[in-house]
Formats: sequence, structure tokens, C-alpha cells
Amino acid sequence: AEVDATLQTAKLNPAELLPAAHCISFGPQAGAGECCLLQLEPGLCAELEAGRSLVIRGEKDEQAVLCSKDKTYDMKIADTSNMLLFIPGCKTPEQLNADPASCNIIHSQVAGFSNNYWELRRCRPKLKKLRKLLMEDPYEGPDRLKDQTSTFSRYTTEDLLSLIQASEEEILHQLQVIDACKIEGYWRILQFDYEMKLLDHVTHLIDSESWSLSKVPLHTCLEELGSLEPREMIEHILLSYGRKYVDDAGEVYFEMREDKICRAIAQMLLQNAVKFNLSEFEEVWQQSVPEGMTTRLDQLKGLALVDKSSRPETIFLLKVEDLPEDNQERFNSLFSIREKWTEVDITPYIQDLCAEKQTVGALLTKYARCSTLNGVKVYNSRRPIS
Amino acid sequence: VTSVLSRSGGAGALAQWVLVELQGEVEPRQGGELAGSLLGDLHYTCEGVPVLIVGHHILYGKVVQLEKPFAVLVKQGGASQPSPGRPHGHYTVTALIKTKLLFKTRPKPIITHVPKKI
Repeated sequence: AEVDATLQTAKLNPAELLPAAHCISFGPQAGAGECCLLQLEPGLCAELEAGRSLVIRGEKDEQAVLCSKDKTYDMKIADTSNMLLFIPGCKTPEQLNADPASCNIIHSQVAGFSNNYWELRRCRPKLKKLRKLLMEDPYEGPDRLKDQTSTFSRYTTEDLLSLIQASEEEILHQLQVIDACKIEGYWRILQFDYEMKLLDHVTHLIDSESWSLSKVPLHTCLEELGSLEPREMIEHILLSYGRKYVDDAGEVYFEMREDKICRAIAQMLLQNAVKFNLSEFEEVWQQSVPEGMTTRLDQLKGLALVDKSSRPETIFLLKVEDLPEDNQERFNSLFSIREKWTEVDITPYIQDLCAEKQTVGALLTKYARCSTLNGVKVYNSRRPIS
Repeated sequence: VTSVLSRSGGAGALAQWVLVELQGEVEPRQGGELAGSLLGDLHYTCEGVPVLIVGHHILYGKVVQLEKPFAVLVKQGGASQPSPGRPHGHYTVTALIKTKLLFKTRPKPIITHVPKKI
């Protein structure tokens, strides 16, 4: 009756209205601020409805991110000048029309209200920290005494999930990319020298057995090398530097990855000095790789940089994984190493910064200034680098 | 530090709530407590236009299907306010909001002489 009276006072014609009406009041907890709103990107709604949880990750000094099973999102508060009230049990016109209203007055309560909400934006997973954590205690081989002692800087999958701002799938994928392996339940990265020692065992065996590089038998490797190194490590190095396959007889073989092996050997050579005479390096490098493999400079993208302006030309180690993760910081770092870059040279060092649908060109437009030097297009910093 | 946004209520569909978006601020009448006080009456015209009567005002709005639905998060345990810069603690996803009633038109005041008593 009160509702009808209100309608009458408001001069609304009940005939033009649906028969059901809501009386909305504020619930007991409405002002408490216990509820907040999270705006969902496509796909997240479906994940929640399917019963999956989402996770917010971030240390005190990090910007919080939200992770689904396989994606990572930056979180930001968005303010609105309007007031947003959230009301359970409030029906839409479709719902009222679909259900012949048994009750004409629906009492609804505002559960909470807000003038802001969390906004999400898909971002690159923050994976640089993963390598940093695993490098705290690289695996140097079973004989090393220290491996038997403290497990302080060692991380299980759960540890990594709580420390890295990325989704589980993104973390597991990255572990594979960096050739990490699980030793006694902990994720470990091999110390480079130990890794090269393992690789050396394998390449020497391939040579002495005269095997084809594309048909290296797992079984024989384990037999021959098992006395020198743990079997898991031998298999791990084969998995890291080869492609596993099974032949018709069910035997496991590896097709060795020429580019990756050449690249690793180059790193081994280059890490011993600040820079090298390019032609001398190329000669030593070719001689150092296994018989049957051919070295090419493009195998070294993101690992080493050639200085074509020096006489003689030189080459030096520059690993993309050692550079900052943040876009602006990455560009600052690159421009302080070299003032002007060609697109070909800089691409391997910024490729990983590209967001989902972003191109290297778009990044260059945003963070660099284009000019022409001797007829060649080059990029330099937008602002002076101190 | 990890906060898990878990589903409330286990199996079964998540509750669907509705968002009502109003201009301005919400204040209790005559400085009383907000909790328990009446907001107003919500009607829909036969064409589906939402009409909200709040105090002496009529608001006309529209039903909007949200392109990006909202999840309603309820903080678990601890009464501390989430700081604006970062969420912390455990939250439960209590409901989803896929529809909002947007009231953008300026409220029309309702002119009365004497409130009728029924």
C-alpha cells in the first residue's frame, strides 16, 4: 500500500509499470566497506563460474597482480564519480517477465556500495625474479659438498608460486624455457660450467661413437656416462640440448639442437673477456663446436653483440636476461650501452617486452626516436642518457 | 604474499547480483544510520525502463548488460580496511554482476503538498 501511495505521489501510472516492485533498503553491513568490486577481463568470469579460484600475488614492494590459471593481470584502482550499489536478489525486467510474479513487493537489501573498483589489465608475467631466485644456488653437481647441506635458497613449486608474480602455467612454462630441473623436489638451474661439462661428455661420446647428430641413443648415453655423472643429469642435458623422439622399435633418441649447442659454446668462449676480435672469435668458435655443426652469428641473438664500428670489428657478451624487465629501464640500459641501434640489432633485446598483440615496431615508436645514419635507419633514446 | 580469491559456496552457480549506479553520494536521511534505512522503490515500466523513487526524487535509468562483468569480493576475517594501493588478506568471490541499472538522468523532484496517510 505504501508503494502504491508513493507511486501516486510520484504521479506514475501503475498501468505503465510491471506489477512487481522492489523495496530497496541498506543491509546491516552495507556501510562497512567489507565488499569491493573487481572488474573481470574476458575469460575470468567463465573461470570463476567453473569453480576455479584466482590469486593475487605481490610482496610489499611490488605492484599487486592477479593470476588466473594461465594469465597474469596488473591491478589498478579505478575511481568513478558515481556511486555503485550492489544488490543481491534484485531482478531485471527480463527475469520479472519470465517469472509470473508471485510476490508483488520484493524486499532487497544493498549489500555494499563503492565509488571505485579494481581494474585489470593483462600484462607480461614478471618472470625475471624466477631466474634470480634459482641463481641463488645453482646446482654444481652431486660431488659438491654444499649441495648436501643447506636448502635455504632452494625453491619448490609451491615456493615459486607464492613468490613469483605470474600464473602457474606461465611459471611452469618458463622453468622449461630456462632448462630448470627438479632435484630432490627443488627446482634448480645448472651452474653454467657444470652444464658445459655435461654437454662436453655427450658431444665427446657422440664423436667417439660416430653417431649421427640426429640419432643419439638415450640408453647408450646413460650406460657409458652413468659412471661419470648422475643419470638424471645426463638425461637432463640431452633434453635441454636435444629433441626427444621414439623410433618404431620403442627406443628413445635425441636429435641434437645445433643452434643451441653452438650458442652455449659461444657463451663459454665469450664470458672469459670483455670483448673479442670478431674474426678470431669466429674461427675459434667454429673449431670448438662438435664435428658436423656450423656456427652462424645469428645463433647469438640476445646473447652477444657485434660492434661493427670498431676496427677491427669486435664481439662481446650481452645477455638479454641480464637486462631490466621494465620497458623504460630496458631501453635506458640499451641506450647507455650503445647510443644508436639498428632495428636488426635491437630486436632480440626488446622482443620479450612485447605485450600480447604488440610489435617491436610499436615499442620502438614509443620508447625510441628514429633517425637516419649513413642511409641506415637507427634508433636512439628519446631523452638524454646520463 | 598471496591472496586467494576463492569461490564461496562450493559447487553450484555463483549468485548473480545487480549493480545500481547513481550519480552523487549516498547519505542517510537526517544523519541517521545507513544500515537498515530505506533507499527507495524500484519499478520497471512495461518497456523495461527502470524507475527509482528515492525520497522526493524520481530517477529514470536504463538496464545495461556489462561488457566486463564484476566479481564481488568480500574480505575474510580482520576488519582492517583494504588499503587503496594494494589488496591483501583473503577474499571470497561471493557473487557476479553482469547487469547494471544506470541512473544518469538528473533526479526529478516530486512535488507534494501534504504527505497522504493511508
